[in-house]
Amino acid sequence: MTATTMFPLPIAIPLAVAAFIALSGKLLGRRFSDALAIATAAANLWMTISILRATWLQPQTYWFGNWWPRAHDVALGICFTVDSVGASLAVLASLLTTAGLLFSWEIFEDTENHFQPLMLIFMAAMCGFSYTGDLFNLFVFFELMSVAAFALCGLKTLEPAPLQGAYNFGLVNTVGAFMIVMGIGLLYARTGALNFAQVGRSLGSSSDALVLLAFLLISVGYMVKAAIVPFHFWLADAHAVSPSPVCVLFSGVMVELGIYAVARVYWTMFQGGLAAHTRELRAILLVMAAITAIVGALMCYAEHHLKRLLAFSTIAHAGLMLAGVGLLAPKALGGFSLYVLSHGVVKGGLFLCAGIVLHRLRKIGEDHLHGEGKGMWWTAGLFLLGAWGLAGAPPFGTLLGESMISDSAKEFHQAWLPYIFMFAEIVTAGAVFRATFRIFFGWGELAPTDRSSQIEEKPETDEEEENVPAVMFVPAAVLILLGIALSAVPNLRSTAEAGAQLFTNQFTYAQAVLQNVEPAAPALTAPEPLTSSIVRSCIALALALLLALGSLFHKRIGGWLKFTHSLELGNPILRKAHSGHPGDYVAWLSFGTALLGGMFVWFLRR
Amino acid sequence: MLNYLTYIVAAWIFLWGLYGIVTSKNLVHQVVCAAVLQTSTYVLLLGIGFKVGGTAPIFADIPVGTSVVDPLVQALMLTDIVVEATVMALLLSMVVKSNEVAGTVDPEELRVLTG
Amino acid sequence: MSSRARTIFFLISAAGLAAVFAWGFRDAPPLGDYRGPYGDVVTQVAGYERHATDVVNAINYDYRGFDTLGEEFIFFASVLGVLLLFRPQKEKENEAKNDSKEQEHLEEELPVSDTLRVSMQLMVVIMIVFGVYIAAHGQLTPGGGFQGGVILASAPLVVYLSGNAETFERIVSSPLIKLAESGGAAGYAIVGAAALFFGAHFLTNIIPLGMTGDLFSSGTIAVISALVGLEVTGGFVLLMKTYLQEIIVAHGEKK
Repeated sequence: MTATTMFPLPIAIPLAVAAFIALSGKLLGRRFSDALAIATAAANLWMTISILRATWLQPQTYWFGNWWPRAHDVALGICFTVDSVGASLAVLASLLTTAGLLFSWEIFEDTENHFQPLMLIFMAAMCGFSYTGDLFNLFVFFELMSVAAFALCGLKTLEPAPLQGAYNFGLVNTVGAFMIVMGIGLLYARTGALNFAQVGRSLGSSSDALVLLAFLLISVGYMVKAAIVPFHFWLADAHAVSPSPVCVLFSGVMVELGIYAVARVYWTMFQGGLAAHTRELRAILLVMAAITAIVGALMCYAEHHLKRLLAFSTIAHAGLMLAGVGLLAPKALGGFSLYVLSHGVVKGGLFLCAGIVLHRLRKIGEDHLHGEGKGMWWTAGLFLLGAWGLAGAPPFGTLLGESMISDSAKEFHQAWLPYIFMFAEIVTAGAVFRATFRIFFGWGELAPTDRSSQIEEKPETDEEEENVPAVMFVPAAVLILLGIALSAVPNLRSTAEAGAQLFTNQFTYAQAVLQNVEPAAPALTAPEPLTSSIVRSCIALALALLLALGSLFHKRIGGWLKFTHSLELGNPILRKAHSGHPGDYVAWLSFGTALLGGMFVWFLRR
Repeated sequence: MLNYLTYIVAAWIFLWGLYGIVTSKNLVHQVVCAAVLQTSTYVLLLGIGFKVGGTAPIFADIPVGTSVVDPLVQALMLTDIVVEATVMALLLSMVVKSNEVAGTVDPEELRVLTG
Repeated sequence: MSSRARTIFFLISAAGLAAVFAWGFRDAPPLGDYRGPYGDVVTQVAGYERHATDVVNAINYDYRGFDTLGEEFIFFASVLGVLLLFRPQKEKENEAKNDSKEQEHLEEELPVSDTLRVSMQLMVVIMIVFGVYIAAHGQLTPGGGFQGGVILASAPLVVYLSGNAETFERIVSSPLIKLAESGGAAGYAIVGAAALFFGAHFLTNIIPLGMTGDLFSSGTIAVISALVGLEVTGGFVLLMKTYLQEIIVAHGEKK
């Protein structure tokens, strides 16, 4: 069996198993369903890794139903075009699902075996999303992913908060999905095609108002999923209430897939037409990225509900990742793919740690848990390591990704960008440090409360146990350590850049898909020295620690360091904007779309 | 103007759907507004596939080679309908639950998570 | 935001959005000016390549069958989600026990005339025949698994409306419903994977295509259409069952 024949399996097998568990789960019992689901996810991990190895700097195309493209590049069928970037995202999705399913071994007594099939469907959808080479197929997997996610988010239906979170998530994302359908329709009206390569070739270097509108609608739709400000409001609500293993998938890979989709549609279809306006588009995307990073970081520090805190940190890092795509350069995109992987495992590990806290201490609010976690040193250690990773300090893989994006930013004379990254890293890592010191060490003053942290989250396990079960601790530890192990892979940065070069080359992409011409593997370039990035990230780490200590001991220190406390209290206007009202969120979505559309009209028209 | 009517109608429905969602004071009503919003995509897709003089793409009783409208947009629309129906079912089940658990279907009163 | 502020904020944004739409649509192809190529090519080749007369379904279940696999699982996941949201939870176990009594109580309350009952029974027969017909002829005439499944799934609802709640309960609680739903969904993936054993790609149409116009023509299109029909029937019946039960519980609580 060659690797290409394996392409449909990471989608087909979990789907079939999901149907099987849904049917016979009650008969076979909880444990058997769990074991079967974990085995399927682990098998998926193995398959996606094999696919990654086979497509390493060697994109491959697979036509469903043997419908190869016909004369004049007309593709009637759907294809998977797997390259290193997509393949590695599928590995991440399978890895995090396996970890999440393992973690859930001990929790959820009463899902009637509906939880495992939904997780498997979620995983299959994410794999299909990263592999596909077809515009509408991308949307189908996007919806499959969303529907599974909505249901998983509302799992704890006994309280109002999960319902509010899941409903807001569902409504806002659905509006985004309709925008994507409109965008696809408009592109189809122009080109009569749905295959990325075919649409890209048909558009060529022409761009007009219709194409620009399609680009606007499609990218806004995916940016809703990617939680880019001002489309991000749903994310914090959804994360705060989702079960921890589900949060791992939301933050670790689903959000990133939204940004990946923007990158994919831009480079396969729109880059030719927008070539004359790259500078303007870059500026627009970078401004959005910077705002996202700042808003996410500020809200993250002001939050005391542990999961919501991590959720806002994801928004801040999503800004960083959008910058990786928005620089519109292979090097930055390579940095993006590395950052996604390392951030995904670290953030996933942190969410599992939050799940451990909820399991052991029965609460999730930092203000309620002051000093409660004393004695849980291993978990505390994982939190500290995770914060270290969020700061992007060595030896974590996040450093490599961030340094590539920063280097690329300097090449485009955007030297301000690394400082924004630094700000986001200091504040988000500082927030996790602060929470760890309070919960596990009992340091400093009591945390000020905010409304969200008052929500009593129902623990996911039934009985309080004295120790942390291995199925909870090991997945969390493995994920966070993988964030370190990633940076030990040889030639990682140069390979990522080479993979990104293949990703961004519209011409060779279309040739590979439509004519089956294998693109030449790009030469590996020597990566730039890491010295400046290491220095910067070590400063960031030190400042993050200082920030955390400053707000812990704000009463004892005086003067200008008091600002750390006001940072913790949060900005009242920003807080008020996150109102929890779905109407507000959709109003912001309309506002963002209109504003972005206005900028497109102004800066990108012919 | 008439040549662009489907596009205008689609945008019109789309914006009214958004208006409904934003101003709604009842979650059931809000979900139905999302369904209204969705119909804009039907109009848009069907308009795109329409061909002057084209008939339905079913060759059971017309000779092969007759001019027909684009069947693909209809296939896409079928997917679209299924997606809509399923998402609405899920959202409505959350609304029913919210009525049961929180005793309200007003988005204003369901706000637990803020800031 | 207050509701007034929100409306104003939205109206300003909507004006901008409308302007962007209007600007973009200027370059759209006018209505009726279809330029292809997808639709033109597929209508030319579908009859010859797939022996199907309904090109929409040839696309749905063959050319772009992989989309429909995803679509079917979207539906499957949402049914699972609704079942998950409405699952009886621990705190409610006592109430759940009361449900059955409440339900019986409700059944007694509904007086139904014989005329209504007989005509409804007649309608059920017609609906089942029509649903099977629509689902089975997907490759020939408008219809197919989704459409046929929805018609079939509304048959039990008619039973319920005719006051025969007990029969309804018996039909919808049958394990066959669950089997149809999951089996239909898994079957699609399995039919797709079967092609792999013949050395072909996933979802290749490996069954002989038969005579154009026959019931058993178009190979896997008819098979998949039938499987989708099963899944949609089962799924919608489960959805209706869950919603109706939930309403009955809520109704009981109010009393």
